[in-house]
Amino acid sequence: MTLADALGQELTTSYGVVVGEVDRTRWSEVAAVVRDQGYSFFDLLTAVDLEADGFEVLLRLWDPVRHEGVVLRTRCPRDDARVPTLTPLFAGAGWHERATAELFGVAFDGHDTARLLLPESFAGHPLRKEFVLAARVAKRWPGAKEPGESEADLATPSRRRPQPPGVPTGWGPP
Amino acid sequence: MTPYDVGLAALRAARYPEQAPALPPRSRGVIALLEQNCTVCMLCARECPDWCIEIDSHKETVPPRTEHGRPRVRHVLDRFAIDFALCMWCGICIEVCPFDALFWSPAFEHAATDATALVHEREQLRQWLRTVPPPPPLDPAAEPSAERVAARKQAG
Repeated sequence: MTLADALGQELTTSYGVVVGEVDRTRWSEVAAVVRDQGYSFFDLLTAVDLEADGFEVLLRLWDPVRHEGVVLRTRCPRDDARVPTLTPLFAGAGWHERATAELFGVAFDGHDTARLLLPESFAGHPLRKEFVLAARVAKRWPGAKEPGESEADLATPSRRRPQPPGVPTGWGPP
Repeated sequence: MTPYDVGLAALRAARYPEQAPALPPRSRGVIALLEQNCTVCMLCARECPDWCIEIDSHKETVPPRTEHGRPRVRHVLDRFAIDFALCMWCGICIEVCPFDALFWSPAFEHAATDATALVHEREQLRQWLRTVPPPPPLDPAAEPSAERVAARKQAG
């Protein structure tokens, strides 16, 4: 039986990686099937913030005999960010789910995800796109100055200044 | 093996600090500044992913060289500082510099007990210039350098 037969769906290959899209209601069920197909090594679990499209949770499993891996992906909406836990299948998924829960704010049903990396007092989920990076707000971008300008010239709002690359507009002081 | 491991292996092999380690070529220890080459174009400060380069400058008007010439505006460097507490040794500033004002130096002994002491101002960056090694010779089959080709052409 091939992996596609076991999953009941076609797998795609993206950049040389075999990828299976899974509905989140079947998340742990499909992971169990794939594990029993020989992909018995839990490699990693993480998430991707797709903004309006919610969150994508990814799981990579590895076949230690055939030396090949497979990636399973599932989606959950932003206002209901939760997927079933995989800890009954792989005990090692516990740390990954705890890290994903606190960094992305995705809940794992059936797993009490205690804090793993951040202090208890930390507010927010730092890998979400809307999370504002304090280091990019507290400090002024040194490249805003034009050649021949110094700190004092920045006070004069003479013309449009270059914006720091990669920093969304609306972050920090105008 | 990461560059860090290579450096650590070199330190161990040399019984550092009694002996100076034999560092691999192109070791990245610290960044040196050749102020004479800097035109204050701001490229390094804008490309730095860590925002660790601070540059201040002012404009100066140079009087015309000829009788009917025009006065020129020139940028003069006032401050050039690299915060090595933020720097991640990517070397992008050195690569983007169009006038070869920044250089890698293998000097690595600049640890500090205070984070503010890791901000190296232009005087200190100039001092590091003395530790910059000459560029390595070209490979035997390499194309001759552009400077050499130009010099040969001039000589006929």
